[in-house]
Amino acid sequence: MFEPFTDVVPSFFGMLNQGPLTLTIFLHSVIVLPMVWIYFQEKKRLENEN
Amino acid sequence: MANKSVWSDNRFWQRSATWVTGFASLLLIWLTLDTSAQIQMGTDADLKNGVQKRVPGPTVINYKITYEMSAKRGHEVPVIGEKEKFFGRDDYSEEEAGALLHLGKLGSQAKNCMDCHTLLGNGAYYAPDLTKAWLDPAWGPDGAMQALTGKNTKEEAMAEFLQHPDQYATHARMMPNLGITAEEAKGLVAFLKHMSSIDTNGFPRNFGRMQGAVNGK
Amino acid sequence: MANNHLTSESKQLATWYFTFAAILFGAQLLFGLVAAIQYVMPGFLYGLLDFSIARILHINALVVWMVFAMFGSVYWLLPDETGIETIGIKIGKLIYWVFVAAIVVVVLVYLFIQVGPADPTTIWFITEGREYIEAPRWADWGIVVVALTFVANLFLTGMKGNRSGIVTVLMADMIAFAGLYLAGMFFTDNITVDQYWWWWVIHLWVEATWEVFVGSIAAYGLITMIGAHRKVVEMWLWIEVAMLFGSGILGLGHHYFWIGTPEYWWEIGALFSALEPLPLVAMFIHVLYDWGKTQGGQDERGENKSVITNKPAFTWFVLNAFGNFLGAGIWGFFHTLPQVNLYTHGTQFTSAHGHLAFFGAYATILVGMMYIAVQGTNGIKVMKHTKASLWAVSMITGGVVGMTVALTIAGYVQVLVSRAQMGATWAAYFDGQSGVWFTQAMDWRLIMGAITFLGFVFLAKDLLTTGKNPVHER
Repeated sequence: MFEPFTDVVPSFFGMLNQGPLTLTIFLHSVIVLPMVWIYFQEKKRLENEN
Repeated sequence: MANKSVWSDNRFWQRSATWVTGFASLLLIWLTLDTSAQIQMGTDADLKNGVQKRVPGPTVINYKITYEMSAKRGHEVPVIGEKEKFFGRDDYSEEEAGALLHLGKLGSQAKNCMDCHTLLGNGAYYAPDLTKAWLDPAWGPDGAMQALTGKNTKEEAMAEFLQHPDQYATHARMMPNLGITAEEAKGLVAFLKHMSSIDTNGFPRNFGRMQGAVNGK
Repeated sequence: MANNHLTSESKQLATWYFTFAAILFGAQLLFGLVAAIQYVMPGFLYGLLDFSIARILHINALVVWMVFAMFGSVYWLLPDETGIETIGIKIGKLIYWVFVAAIVVVVLVYLFIQVGPADPTTIWFITEGREYIEAPRWADWGIVVVALTFVANLFLTGMKGNRSGIVTVLMADMIAFAGLYLAGMFFTDNITVDQYWWWWVIHLWVEATWEVFVGSIAAYGLITMIGAHRKVVEMWLWIEVAMLFGSGILGLGHHYFWIGTPEYWWEIGALFSALEPLPLVAMFIHVLYDWGKTQGGQDERGENKSVITNKPAFTWFVLNAFGNFLGAGIWGFFHTLPQVNLYTHGTQFTSAHGHLAFFGAYATILVGMMYIAVQGTNGIKVMKHTKASLWAVSMITGGVVGMTVALTIAGYVQVLVSRAQMGATWAAYFDGQSGVWFTQAMDWRLIMGAITFLGFVFLAKDLLTTGKNPVHER
């Protein structure tokens, strides 16, 4: 199931490298997805202001 | 009554910008810690026990270095082989080799090497890349430089060239005389040999292939 | 520059910063010309002012004039944004002279001492030999003191006065900008560790903090020059900050492909830096959109008049929006993926990108700020183009674009011959360098460089004289 490790030293970030783009998609997601939470918080605030 | 959209709300974007910046910075710090551990220099014991390091210890100058295709990695990697004499010795202690490397690294900065050459591909583009200069066939037994400088080994040829570059021009674009002393030249050659042993993920690709062999192999 | 119309000391200090920045800009171009001549005639000044020294002066003058113009821009806009005089302006003025004196000493040492023996005294007093930040260690500490004073001025003023969105972004950005310099101030025997931290300074400056700075300045320019709506401008600014830092911080990874760092940087560097052009597109659209919107609003009211109150500055700002996207965005994306970068890393490709990106992203907007300062200093209501300002903008832009195209072609030859075909050795390198396409490209680069320099002469003339020109509305 997991890709064999090719780099010199195994590491957490190397492990996430499970084929094309898995590592970078993971990192992009953890950066961008919490904005959803900010979105709904702000939406609630705007509704309360009205 | 239409509610104002969150998408046109400054506070939403301000908070998002703060989050994205802060979290990306934290990730970078984490990655830096991970990478830093991997790029620390190895030790003499690592070399003796065959422990692979991205950046080997300074005593790598006691060994023969080649640059070979790795099936596992999918690109060329430096391979540290049997013992090899460097200025007539292959028994430099960790302190001696470290001192030579220290001198060479200082020299590389004090002479502004990087403002004509590239090191690990970074620097100026007025002169050849030095990442794998140690493995360059031009300095090997079949290359021109040993005969040109009148020396019998790669390291002596390099050291001689560094001290009097203006006497051994290989191109109209000549390296200037930078007042490099014999000791500094030795250090610089050690620095170059050490740099060639760093695992650069296959950069430069196909180094020395056209001459058919790397390092007299 | 006569300062008869300036009541703010902060703005006065800004004009000092701009003046020295312009002088260094000229020096940058002059030493760039020397280096360009050496590519064509290698014997030129050999042994006197070798390529390495010309190049150090070329790129250090570049970085320093931009830092000066950036400090100047902040001192200029602070009173407008915060509504108060900059706090600690007296110390700011003192520090300015310290900074200038230090730069002059550093330049003289570069010029006349050039290199030193391989020991720490060279690192401390002559050169650190690390591209862009060659300044010796004593000067590093000087720069830290100067930068901290500047940041203190900014923070104290921002905290006391009206803290607009622009000022808030600048405060966060400038402290990061100053702090990052510390990452470049140590010596290590390990070249991989050396390069790792060196990129923290270089990349996180020019591909993160400086870009955000440009976003703030563009926002200020849109409000002052065409009367764009502050809320709209500041919303865009926050979006740009999110996108610039979101892509730029981990985009740092594209410098970690080949320096001995782990393979996982391939993926991180490639895919984050691939997104770096997005905020630059956003900035371009933003500038043009706001321009069209405010002009359209005025047209609807039946006022048949341009909304732009400073034509030359606005021209440079629009060039910035496009040049940033083209030079930093497109030319950067060209070679940011590791599959491509394996062959382009360390070739004239990088140089082509460097020329267009530094010009497009930074030189343009900072020259624009200089024009805003000339306008303010001379109490001009609507500033028009002059013949000299038009020649300046066309020749400098044409020259830099020409140099970029020439260097890109040289880069192609180098990649194909030296790298792909010949395997990157010493012999391969010189085979590539002697190809006809390469040598002709270098001839063109020199010609285009000379045109850029002539354009600078027009620019200098215009900045010095346009203030008194009667064509402007006062």
